[in-house]
Amino acid sequence: MNYEMHKAIDWSQGLPLTAGDYFLGIYQPSPETAGYWEAVARRELVLKWCPHCRIAFHPKRIVCTACGADDLEWKRASGRATVYSFSEVHHAPSGVFAPSVPYTVGLVALEEGVHLFSRLIPEGDAKVAIGAPAQVEFRVMELGQLLPVFVVGKP
Amino acid sequence: MMRASVGGSTAIVGIGRAMTRRGDGPPKTPLQLGAVAAVDALRKAGIKRGQVGALFTGRMPTSYMVLQYNQALLNELKIGPAFSSEVTSHGAGALGTLQLGAMAVHSGAIDYALCVTNDSSGVWLNQTHANAATEGELQFEYPYGASTPSLYAQFACRYMHEFNITPAMAARVAVENRRWALDHPHAAMRSKGPITVDDVLASRMIASPLRLLDCAVWYPGGIATAMVVTRADVARADHEPLAYLAGFGQCSTHEWVSERMGGWGYAPLEDGPNMFRTGAAEAARQAYAMAALKPKDIDIVQTSVPFSFAHLIILEELGFCGIGEGGAFVESGGIDYDGGLPFNTMGGYLSFGQVSQGLYNMHETINQMWGRAEGRQVPDVEVGLVHGHGGPLASHSAVIVSKERLQ
Repeated sequence: MNYEMHKAIDWSQGLPLTAGDYFLGIYQPSPETAGYWEAVARRELVLKWCPHCRIAFHPKRIVCTACGADDLEWKRASGRATVYSFSEVHHAPSGVFAPSVPYTVGLVALEEGVHLFSRLIPEGDAKVAIGAPAQVEFRVMELGQLLPVFVVGKP
Repeated sequence: MMRASVGGSTAIVGIGRAMTRRGDGPPKTPLQLGAVAAVDALRKAGIKRGQVGALFTGRMPTSYMVLQYNQALLNELKIGPAFSSEVTSHGAGALGTLQLGAMAVHSGAIDYALCVTNDSSGVWLNQTHANAATEGELQFEYPYGASTPSLYAQFACRYMHEFNITPAMAARVAVENRRWALDHPHAAMRSKGPITVDDVLASRMIASPLRLLDCAVWYPGGIATAMVVTRADVARADHEPLAYLAGFGQCSTHEWVSERMGGWGYAPLEDGPNMFRTGAAEAARQAYAMAALKPKDIDIVQTSVPFSFAHLIILEELGFCGIGEGGAFVESGGIDYDGGLPFNTMGGYLSFGQVSQGLYNMHETINQMWGRAEGRQVPDVEVGLVHGHGGPLASHSAVIVSKERLQ
């Protein structure tokens, strides 16, 4: 399985997560999410998909909540979403995020009915607000990692 | 479905407590505090080690990370219970120890359950830093810079939007909690004096809409609380019952904020998924049904949520006002120190301080029943409700206790 997502990242070492002076652990994709991160490396957003019930799920999901099937597939998402909730962070959880404050994190509702937690980035004069349209983009974020983020105010 | 007969069929017959304060002599570990509190509880209940049929502890303390913490405590206490476990539904597991203890003794399998919660993270850790990220999911939340307040803020943002809740309404919770804390000798914020709504709204932004004074303060020390639970008949024959466990319930809905938005939509949370309803409503429904009581029967309420606005949601879900009316309820004096529902009478997480996990809110409720609440005594407390919570509004428990046996 190819875990290479971005040249800055050596997945064999994982990514160290810190909070203040505290080391929390190594962040790595797990087997059920590897396909998501491989897609991110291709700058595609994918979701879990139950081929039997034809329902999309969060990329972490292992079994279908409707029928219990565990043969979930990957399905590409449109990347179009609306803002469900958000918070502007002024006190960063660790030093690596401190230079970025204030920044906005929130939940977006994807067209496919799945909610993702993400960074919300207003474009131009746009304001992050509940119900505002947002579109996925792929950017290298503070941990040096390529991540899907959502740009608010982009048609 | 729990058999109704468990309601009121068990009682707490011994309570032990151990406390420490940062800078107050050599630092103490949760295990030190827990062991002292447990021995104290057994002594007060008048039972011997060999009579302990079950040991239930809260989850592993943040400042004492050993797997199977209950085993570490069991080892120190030299007890050999038939049942022993951590109760790991985050902070809701603290009350969960009493619930499992009650069911174990009610079943007749054992006679006595020992329930212990303890933490002294305020002595050992800089929790403002250490806890900031630990509630985020490591692949899908934390890499975006999700602080713990920003995760709770997702609920606040959507709840405020749904019901036109204002920051000033939420700030009233912080103001009233502080007022109670001024009367408590051990409250973290006692020395800071009273605060106003304007003080809260002028405090610095942490993660919108949450400002500094909307957030819980970590307790600058540690508290261990131990309780002995037995059947009501045993309690009356051989002990002095301190409180009957009239009703209890629990409901956990998710582990990560992202997951709160997926996978529900059926009983008991048929109105989900959303970010403005929690499992507290279901936990309370179970507790009221078991106790055959209604919110109007409750004399005193303690809760354990770490942000101001979340108290509004919890007041709604515990039944003290209608859904979406938490803000108006609090603004119209619903939880006022003077004349309102006695609510968080130690000062709550916002001003007494958060001890990560604990039965100290239950201890406070029982102290209030017996006139032992020092300078903050509420008159005529017969029935109290304690709400426990953990995770980002993920796990909820509710326990109703009564001074006399009701059922």
